[in-house]
Amino acid sequence: MTGAGDIMPAMGTAFSLYGWLLQLGRGVLRWVLGWWLVVFIGAQLAVLAFSPSSYRRETRGVVLRHLYNAAGPGLPGFTTLMALFNVVVIRIVVVTAFAYGLTQYALDAVVRVLVLELIPLVAALFVAVEYTIPSGSELYKLRRGGGFQAMRAQGVDPLSREVLPRVLGGIFAVLLLALVSCVVSLVLAYIAVHGFTWAGVASYNHAVGTIFNPVVSLIFGMKTVLFAVAVSLLPMANALRDLPRRASRTSVELQGLVQMFVLMLVIEIASLVGNYY
Amino acid sequence: MSSSAPGSPPPEPPPPALPEPAAPGLPADPADPAEPVPPATRRSLRSLELRAALLLLFMALLITGAVLYLMWARGAFEATQKLYLTTDDSEGVSVGMDMSFSGFPIGRVSRIELAEGGTVRIHVEVPVKDAHWLRISSVFTLEKGLVGAARLRAFTGILDDPPLPPGSERMVLRGDVSAEIPRMVADARDVLQNINRLTAEESALSGAMRELRGFTTRLNSEQGGLLAAVTGNEADARRVSELLDRGNRLLKSLDAVALRVDGVVRKADAQVLGQDGLVPDAQAALRQLNALLQDARQTVVKVDAVLKEVQGVAGNAREATVNLGDLRADVESSLRKIDALITEINRKWPFAPKEKEVKLP
Repeated sequence: MTGAGDIMPAMGTAFSLYGWLLQLGRGVLRWVLGWWLVVFIGAQLAVLAFSPSSYRRETRGVVLRHLYNAAGPGLPGFTTLMALFNVVVIRIVVVTAFAYGLTQYALDAVVRVLVLELIPLVAALFVAVEYTIPSGSELYKLRRGGGFQAMRAQGVDPLSREVLPRVLGGIFAVLLLALVSCVVSLVLAYIAVHGFTWAGVASYNHAVGTIFNPVVSLIFGMKTVLFAVAVSLLPMANALRDLPRRASRTSVELQGLVQMFVLMLVIEIASLVGNYY
Repeated sequence: MSSSAPGSPPPEPPPPALPEPAAPGLPADPADPAEPVPPATRRSLRSLELRAALLLLFMALLITGAVLYLMWARGAFEATQKLYLTTDDSEGVSVGMDMSFSGFPIGRVSRIELAEGGTVRIHVEVPVKDAHWLRISSVFTLEKGLVGAARLRAFTGILDDPPLPPGSERMVLRGDVSAEIPRMVADARDVLQNINRLTAEESALSGAMRELRGFTTRLNSEQGGLLAAVTGNEADARRVSELLDRGNRLLKSLDAVALRVDGVVRKADAQVLGQDGLVPDAQAALRQLNALLQDARQTVVKVDAVLKEVQGVAGNAREATVNLGDLRADVESSLRKIDALITEINRKWPFAPKEKEVKLP
């Protein structure tokens, strides 16, 4: 931009606009390249994930260990926390519905708010904070420390040895935590509405069956899987590239987190549009 | 993997070094020598893997269970029969909504389509185990309240009717509260207009109220009070007052008359019912009359006996009369014989008559 200004100083404004456009174009290009990289790495990982060679004897152990490290330690704590949170939210919704004489909609509201919307989101965020972002950071350090080169020198593909297990672990953790919390939440909702009795099971099953129609179930499943992929893939992909320096020099983790939030927001909006329009 | 990005690096700024730039001058924490895997024994690794496998198995079970549960809750494993409902407007009806009977869901809308003739055809799946609640006389309604979704309901009045056959087609009766609102508002507007007209300045009600007010004013006025208010003027009120006075006097004199009549009645009472009154005399006279009548009855009995005897005498006299007839006939025949004898004698000579002549008239 400044170079252009030197050449034609009389048309400063026009050239500053040119410079601004140039900068904008570069920014957009960088942004597109960044996302392209994420998508490219994701495609590579998908290929690796579906190829049996990734699960050979030596790598299978690594994958299993990462699966457990991602989901196992956080499962009891997260389930307990979500159960408490569920109890509070269910209570609020049920009491409000009673107060307005809309009891018949209480269960519907509870299941829609908790199971369909909140739990997948919270599970994804939990796994991101608890596992994938630290794991991505670890990967970044490994790469910067030359670990990948060392691996290659030993004839080991770092992508299938280090990256794929982490991504699979993250996806698995999100799905497992969300699923367990959904089951717990459904049970708690039943108890909150009907109490400790079997009398309401038939009507409860019917209500749940009505809410989870094929479209809603499909959107719910897709949303949860996309959350899991987003939460797992983005930190790893960011660890595999050097993000351009910015003025604030935010850390890799933070930039990855922001990117992840944006992606999750897009997924959530898309699912809401699919569910309610 | 690493080589992907260099595609079109922007010219000026240092290209965003994409993966694996051999980690040159980054001030990465050097105190972090790549520690790839924490040292772990083979046994602990095996147990970790085992736990991971268990988690995988758990998740597979959860997913399978959730899918099966949802399919079961949506009635995927239930035998159903079809019911077609037709209506003229599908507003409020949605695929998946329930059809309830006595508050219990017994069917689910599976499809809505536009049928021939512009009507709406609603396909309802009714589980076979609940289908016995629907009879051929069942009625189906679609109600739309102010709050909440529309409700499809079935009513069965006679549960002894034959069951509704599968694939039946029925009309839906619509009850729409929100559709009633405009009509209600129009009615309310009419009522308000009527009230407005009633309470207007020149309305009959207003005139009546004015009259009433005039009446009460007259009622409260000093001149005449209620009477003046009723009669309309003071003179009439005075005349009414005089009338009342005269009536009062008349009542007093009537009172005196009544007293006098009372005395007369008392005297008459004494004369008629007293000790020497009419009634005891009359009673004695009646007693005597009774005795006389008894005597008369005895006399009549005697006369009766006499009459019987007279009857016997008369019978005898009748017989005597009959005998007298016979006697007379005998005498008559004897006389005729004598007459014939004399005639015979006369015809004989010397007793024959001298001349026999026939005189012609």
